[in-house]
Amino acid sequence: MSPLMSIFKRDWQLAMRNKSEFIQPLVFFVLVITLFPIGVGPGLATLQKIGPGVIWVAAILSALLGMEKLFRDDFNDGFLEQIQLSGVSLSLAMFIKVFCHWLLFILPLIVVSPMLALFLNLTPAMYWALLATLLLGTPILSFVGGIAVALTVGLQRGGVLLSLILIPVFIPLLIFATSVVDSAVFGLNYWPQLAIIAAMLCGAIAITPFAMSYAIRVSHH
Amino acid sequence: MFTWLHPYAKTERAYALCQSLFPYFLSAAVLGLVVGLVWGLVFAPPDYQQGDSFRIIYIHVPSAILAMGTYVAMATAGLVGLVWQWKTAYMSMIAIAPVGALMTFISLFTGAAWGKPMWGTWWIWDARLTSQLILLFLYFGVMALYAAFSDKQQAGKAAAIIALVGVINIPIIHYSVEWWNTLHQGSTITKIGRPSIAPEMKWPLLVSIAGFIGLIGTLVLLQLKNVILIREAHRPWVKKLLLTSSTKGER
Amino acid sequence: MTPRRKQRLTMVLIIGALLASAIGLMLYALNENIDLFYTPTEIHEGKSGQFPQVGQRLRIGGLVVEGSVVRNKETLSVAFDLMDTGPKVTVTYDGILPDLFREGQGIVATGVLQEGFVIVADEVLAKHDEEYMPPELAEQLKGIKHVKPSEAGY
Repeated sequence: MSPLMSIFKRDWQLAMRNKSEFIQPLVFFVLVITLFPIGVGPGLATLQKIGPGVIWVAAILSALLGMEKLFRDDFNDGFLEQIQLSGVSLSLAMFIKVFCHWLLFILPLIVVSPMLALFLNLTPAMYWALLATLLLGTPILSFVGGIAVALTVGLQRGGVLLSLILIPVFIPLLIFATSVVDSAVFGLNYWPQLAIIAAMLCGAIAITPFAMSYAIRVSHH
Repeated sequence: MFTWLHPYAKTERAYALCQSLFPYFLSAAVLGLVVGLVWGLVFAPPDYQQGDSFRIIYIHVPSAILAMGTYVAMATAGLVGLVWQWKTAYMSMIAIAPVGALMTFISLFTGAAWGKPMWGTWWIWDARLTSQLILLFLYFGVMALYAAFSDKQQAGKAAAIIALVGVINIPIIHYSVEWWNTLHQGSTITKIGRPSIAPEMKWPLLVSIAGFIGLIGTLVLLQLKNVILIREAHRPWVKKLLLTSSTKGER
Repeated sequence: MTPRRKQRLTMVLIIGALLASAIGLMLYALNENIDLFYTPTEIHEGKSGQFPQVGQRLRIGGLVVEGSVVRNKETLSVAFDLMDTGPKVTVTYDGILPDLFREGQGIVATGVLQEGFVIVADEVLAKHDEEYMPPELAEQLKGIKHVKPSEAGY
């Protein structure tokens, strides 16, 4: 088995052994979204108008919440240092780790999103557009977020700092994602905005693994 | 090509450079701001549409232009630090950050004050205003990350990486006006061919921009000198410097 | 080729392909129009082949047609026509207009399109142009007489 496959398998098994950890962001996601109808009132028209934005904001927050521990254990027990010594490309290993994290922590959020779309009274057209933005957009959260996680991994108190650094960087993504759903409401063509999100994703996959591995090297000093 | 720069990687040389540049920037700042602002705020003619409220342009435009330029300068300093491993590059990066944040804040504040009489609202979520606000948050992120590390060399590297990630935001800021085509008017000075501001209004603006550049330079140099002295406090040259300056003060 | 070099080469190729597709997608997106901003002519004749639909939320920008401003005596509601180079559309609005709102002035309104090229706006903002000049020069060049907002009478 190739070393990269075994990293994937290892991460997967570790997460499976500790199930409560990846259920927490999921429950957080659902709870945050439940707060909105209670906070702004149960008017269906209002909920429909704010729904896509609420789901996206909640997704960003729960992604940030689940991300903090992305590299921490592997950093502390020396696993990442071993990878550097083993001759396997650290960038590729980081890519695999982040991808695995996305599958385990973020994909469940997308899976439960149809239920939340019902909570927020989204129409089917809006939902499909929202789903497309979530599928293309949330990996960007994981990959770009990974850089900041790798930088702060040596600090034992990363939490709020991580959000402080990352939220501004995610704003353009949020703008395009919600504009996709807004266009879907009127049955307009939303491919251009989706293309921008897809372009961001391609760029993120191409560049961030190197930034993450560099950041890990900085943290090792 | 850049060999002439290399001596300034040493903190002592960099400090001396700050000392010698300081008076020039200070005089540019005082001269430019006094002349530009008095000329612009008092003597320039009122605008045909906006009357006297347009005069806020003499503070708003320089700070808005330079807020972005300062971010690029900060990220460039960070990049230089990452490529050549210079301590002084990280020091200048972190000296620039608060000054840039201040400029961004001034441009947002004056923009809001201008928006009220002109657009009819203090704040609109216009693309350009929003990106300027994001720029302010990016400055905060860089400063917060730097402050979180106790090892300042590592802090410099980390903040430099985040500053470079933030640079992606700069083209979005620049093109957002065209992308979203919203309220904010296009930029006045860079329009090629037909200048869209009358000369008697443009000259004070340019002088005021020069004054703001001087102001930014002055503040950055002050910050940088402090950062160098604090970080190098254990070095003999710093002790010597402080001793001579304190004996001078006693006399 | 050694396995290590082979791996390098595949990585370089994959990254190149990703960056190329990122650029391609960006170019595609920038060629399409993605904003909901229309001019009065575009509402009548469509914007690059796309027509705004009745019930759609949009932003419209244009000049207030001289003499078209109709005010309701009892409420704040106001109706006016907007135009650019071609046909006009009517905007109705219920609220306080900004200082710079004058006939002949450029404004941006956000609202919902109705039948018969009427837009029910929930926000009207004055757009000032990026030209700054003294009043005398403006009179000569553009034939615009400078009126202070307080003296404009509406």
